[in-house]
Amino acid sequence: MEFTLIQLILSLVALIFLGNRVIRFLRKERTQTGFKLILTLVVWGGILLTSLFPVTVHNLSRSLGFGDNLNTLIFFGFVMVFILLFKLLASIEHIERNITEVVRKEALKDIKL
Amino acid sequence: MTEKKTYIVVPAYNESEVIGLVLDELHKQNYRNIIVVDDGSTDSTYLKAKEKDVVILRHMLNRGKGAAVKTGIEAAKILQADQIVTFDADGQHEPHDIKKALKLLEKFDVVLGKRDFKEKHIPFFKKIGNFIGNLITWLIHGLWVSDSQSGMRAYSKNAISLIETTADRYEYDSEIMREIVRNKLSYTEMPIHVRYTEYSQKKTNRQSYSGAIKTVIRMILSG
Repeated sequence: MEFTLIQLILSLVALIFLGNRVIRFLRKERTQTGFKLILTLVVWGGILLTSLFPVTVHNLSRSLGFGDNLNTLIFFGFVMVFILLFKLLASIEHIERNITEVVRKEALKDIKL
Repeated sequence: MTEKKTYIVVPAYNESEVIGLVLDELHKQNYRNIIVVDDGSTDSTYLKAKEKDVVILRHMLNRGKGAAVKTGIEAAKILQADQIVTFDADGQHEPHDIKKALKLLEKFDVVLGKRDFKEKHIPFFKKIGNFIGNLITWLIHGLWVSDSQSGMRAYSKNAISLIETTADRYEYDSEIMREIVRNKLSYTEMPIHVRYTEYSQKKTNRQSYSGAIKTVIRMILSG
């Protein structure tokens, strides 16, 4: 089985991220959660599988009903990423406003007529 | 007729070098009701302002110019202000302009300070930045003004009670335009003189280019 350069690079990067996450999870670092582990396994595992076995992934996409058009799957991936990004931005904005409200309340607590 | 209670709101972030002078200038013009909001400065702004005869409030964290102005306005409301003038702490505004603004406030709900961008000493990036700011403000809020980012503004009691803002950073300045439109407030623009000193150009906390881009994005998202 022959690998192209891009396949090798992608596999290596995916392995580094997967290994890093798994090691940190096994070390029980405080910032590591099961959710982060699963997310890494799905995203970087997916990239690893796609780069190692492109034909299998292509067949899988065909059996899922996407036909020969793997781009559709990638497009949906992007849409999901953008939705997540906007959700994240909205949530950050909400937290920022709450922080400001707390800071303001504290600043105004001694103000009396 | 009883005299109107005027409050000057001065948002300040790391302005220890000039805040004392700015407050002295305001006192010299007989403005006694001054609220300084120290927006989580890391220098001695708070202590310098505290030496003066002003109401000093402190944000324990830096929340941005918009947040600081709003805190000052909330304080002025508690202190039953009849009218409020916002005034930058870096010494770029002329205290003489306040009197003119208050005069106009007899006829209008909001007076917007308007810098003369034809003046040669105004940096080029300020001119371009202001034009982009005006354009986006117009596109989002439907109100064309010639200086959407000016820090010097005056508000009547009616405007104070109606204006509701949420933006923390520089996009606050444009949010005021939305509120003018939403509440059908009467407004006017008043030419003001600005002093772009070596200090104001050198200071590290002035809005950077990347900060300006972020402001534009936030304006679009919050519009």
